[in-house]
Formats: sequence, C-alpha cells, structure tokens
Amino acid sequence: MIRFNDVSFSYENSDEMAVRNINAHIGRGEFVGIIGPSGAGKSTLLSMINGVIPHFYKGDFYGEVLVCGRDTVESTCGKLSHHVGSVFQDPESQIVSTVVEDEIAFGLENFNIPAGEIEARLAEALRMAGIEHLRHESTAALSGGQKQRVTIAAAIALRPEILVLDEPTSQLDPRGSRQVFTTLRQLNREYGITIIIVEQKVMLLSEFCSRLMVMEKGRIIMDGPTRSVLEHNDRLLELGINCPRIVTLTKLLKNASLWSGGYPVDVDEAETVVRGIMEGTHDQYQEPELSIQ
Amino acid sequence: MISIRNLSYRYNKKAPLVLDNISLEIGRGEFVALVGQNGAGKTTLLKQLNGLLKPSSGSVTINGLDTATVKTSELACHIGFLFQNPDHQIFCGTVYDEIRFGLVNTRRQQELIDGRIRRIAGLLGLEGMLDRNPFTLSKGERQRVALASVLALETEILVLDEPTTGQDYKECVEIMEIVKSLNQQGKTIIMVSHDMEVVVDYCERTIVLHNGRVLEDDDTGIVLRKTESLGMAGLEPPQIIQLAQRFGPLFQDVISPEDMARAIISCAVPGGVRA
Repeated sequence: MIRFNDVSFSYENSDEMAVRNINAHIGRGEFVGIIGPSGAGKSTLLSMINGVIPHFYKGDFYGEVLVCGRDTVESTCGKLSHHVGSVFQDPESQIVSTVVEDEIAFGLENFNIPAGEIEARLAEALRMAGIEHLRHESTAALSGGQKQRVTIAAAIALRPEILVLDEPTSQLDPRGSRQVFTTLRQLNREYGITIIIVEQKVMLLSEFCSRLMVMEKGRIIMDGPTRSVLEHNDRLLELGINCPRIVTLTKLLKNASLWSGGYPVDVDEAETVVRGIMEGTHDQYQEPELSIQ
Repeated sequence: MISIRNLSYRYNKKAPLVLDNISLEIGRGEFVALVGQNGAGKTTLLKQLNGLLKPSSGSVTINGLDTATVKTSELACHIGFLFQNPDHQIFCGTVYDEIRFGLVNTRRQQELIDGRIRRIAGLLGLEGMLDRNPFTLSKGERQRVALASVLALETEILVLDEPTTGQDYKECVEIMEIVKSLNQQGKTIIMVSHDMEVVVDYCERTIVLHNGRVLEDDDTGIVLRKTESLGMAGLEPPQIIQLAQRFGPLFQDVISPEDMARAIISCAVPGGVRA
C-alpha cells in the first residue's frame, strides 16, 4: 500500500539529509507508530506519504515513494488526498468552521461530492469518529480531544484508505489523548483504514500500535511488531526514547530471573506477568520477528 | 509564601465562575503539580499568581503582597512565569536579547547582566546559540530560551505551564532536571502538567483542579491513587500505580517500577520463582 524505495530527502537550503536510505513497506490495515527524538525525520517521513514533500516543501528527492501504486513525485497533493487523510498537532490550526458539521462538509464540498451524497458521508464520518453527538456543536466550545476527533472525522469523510497523523495528542490531556487513540483503533479495526502516527507518548503507542518504527538522524533504525521493538528497551533508552513503565518493571523482573517471557504492551498484560510470577503460572508471550538496521 | 483565600474568578460579570472559592497555602521550597483536564482552570489560576488576572472575590498574596493592589511589574520580581507555548513569550531577534530583555527592565548593571546571561545560557545548553534568531531554533530549543529568560530574573517562585509539552523524552528530562536542581536550591516550583509520569517523578505535592475547584490536594503518591477523582478530572494514574492497584493492598505504597519490582521479588511465592 505504501512503499519507500531507497528514499532520501534534503530540504531546500539545507545540506543535510532529513531522511536517508529509507526502505519500508506498509501494508493495508496496519497501525504503525513512529517514534524518535526531535529532528529524527519523523514528520518528513509522513510528509512524503501525503505528498506535502515534494509538492509543498521542495528539496532534493532521491528514490521513490509509492502510495496506492502511485509515484508521489508524479502525482499531486490533491490526487493523493483521495487516498491519504492528514491530521496535525494542533487542531486549532486545522479547523476552519464554527460548527462541527460544517467543518466536515467543507472537505466534501471541496472534493465536488454531489450535494445529495454529502449528508450520508457526513453522518458516516461522525459515526466512524464516534462524535455523532457533537454534530451541531460550536467548534470553539469543544475540548481539545473533541476538536482533534473533529479533524479526524473531516479527514475520514473523504474516505481515505490511509490516515497519517503528526503528534495529534500533544496538546491534549490524558483523557483526550486516549479518546483519539481509541477512535483510531476503531477506524483501523472496523473500517480497515491504515494508520500511521508520529507520537511521543510511548505508552499509548505500545498499547495501540501493532508495529513500531524507531527513527534517529533520518534513518529507520528499528522496525517491527511493537512487542519485539520493546525487547530492545535498553537501546531505546540510549536513543533518548522513553519506555513504558511496565516495560521497565518487566525488565527488572527479567534481571531477577523471575520472568523470561515477552514484554507487556498494556496494564492488562502487565497484570498477567505479575500474576504469573506470584502464582507460578508463568504464561509466556510469543516473540515475533524484528528487523534491526 | 503564596496564600490564596476564597479566590473566585469570572472573566466577565455574565460568564460562569472559572475559579470557584479556592483556598491554598504554598510554602517556600515546595514542588507542586497542578493537574486537571483542559479547561479545568489551571492556567487561569496560574495567571492569578503573577497578577495577570485579579480575583473577582477573595485574595491572593505573594510574599505578603496582595496581587489586587500591587503592580504586576513588582510581582514579577517574586514570580517567574513560563508560558505553555514559547512562541507566545519570545519576541527578540536573538537568543541573547531574549534572555537580556527582562533584566534590562529591572535596571541592573551591564556587566552583571552579561555574566548572568552567559551563565544561564550555559545551564540550559544555549551557549552556542546566543546570536541565533530564536525562530530558527527547534521547538524544544525555543522552550529552553523562554525558560532561560524566566530564570534570568532569579525569582524565588517559578510558575511553569506545561514546560515539557512538545519535547521529546530526552529534552523533557533535561528541562525537568534543571527545574529539580532549582527546587533543591530553594526555589518554589508550581507546574501544570498533563504527564503523570513527570508528576510522579518530580513533584512532591499534587493539586487536582476540576471545574474551577480544588478536588484533591495532598502528597503526589496519595493523590495519584485516587482513581475516582482522577477519572472525574480526565486523568489516569501512572501505569505502575494502575498495575499495583489491581492487587489490592499488596502493593499499596508502590510508585516506581523499582518499588514494584522489589515488592514482587520479596513476596513472590517460592514455587512461582523460575530458577
């Protein structure tokens, strides 16, 4: 569905590569989290999927990016937006309408969707994002989490197969952040939308994503199923990436030879680990494959 | 040091109360977290401390100065304020001038000022950037520039509105370690944060604000176990406390992964321990 073939890119007026030698394939229906320090190239990678690079940000582009079979360099942002929806950090800077339903209809009108069809698409997007009750609300009166779900609804109204999100929860409180991730999980599981999200909250990434990519200095340095990336928590800490506290705990239990199984991704699984040790049942997780470059 | 008595506030006469009868005492050298969901009144309460907003009723006194009558500029000698978004705070053409700005306004001697700017820049890892334009720096660097300009004033009290937002983990730890060392030097810290891991790692006392009222106010370890209040305020306990709570009273004092591991090791039944 998305393929990076030996991709490197440097922004105009910069002699440094923002991303280098990227080779990756993301399949239909994946839920991918991208994590890494500031300046690692995470946002650059996302901008190559929705075509913002090279169509808005210019620079030197090497290799090729294929999205739904189309070469992004030969396509346009407009054409790509039929396949890829984008959500950014700050919902305030993305919302243009004063009423929720207008915000969602805005994109549909721009896409020349026939007036008769707009109502159905609007209702569908509200339902999919779990915000039917907000339809007639003023956008200004919404909480941060609600606003961000409105921007997600506006993006999915255009029926993209792929949704890319750049730190969508950084302005949100814990409840709002969890609401956003829960909505994304639903879109991914029930509607098969491929999700690619850049995020600093490693606890939420671990819990919700099936695959993690770790970036540093423009490269993808780890890429694999979430649980197997967490196996390399020492390396993550070296890179200045936080680990979920339950992973730190499990590491200590491993060091004490109390646990030899896999790492838990959420509190439920951590409970299983601890009960396993306390009760001696010791269920082990499967350790899937991981590629380290 | 900070005394808030029956403070209520509304933005105008027809608006609802944003702060509703708040009373708090914060002593010298405390490290306090102020938590709650977006819209709970946290930033409004912070702005009452430095006189940017004045009480509709009740009073706020800082080192004995009543914010209702004292000039904001005088309060600024006692309280430093770091805004949530550094871009709302930064406006000078170079990092040097940005750090210098507040000092010039306090009419100090030129040599003293220069020395202090360089010392603070060093503390925050900005020494190589003094001639740069702040807006060419990364968000994390801009946040440190804003913090430097606040620290330059050497106030006894520091008020920080989500100082770690938008930072990666490494930058977050760097900023919090600086704040921690300032606290150890005796400064009083009041910090708004949405990151319960940061709160549990650094803040001794936690105040939960909900709908303009104080819902909880106690030692951080105690407050972060009050699942019901936290849920009401749109928060959730840190992972380790959530996990510990699933085992009833067994791990009731556990806060960190290290605490939890020690407790498990000491009570794991022999049959359950893998050789």
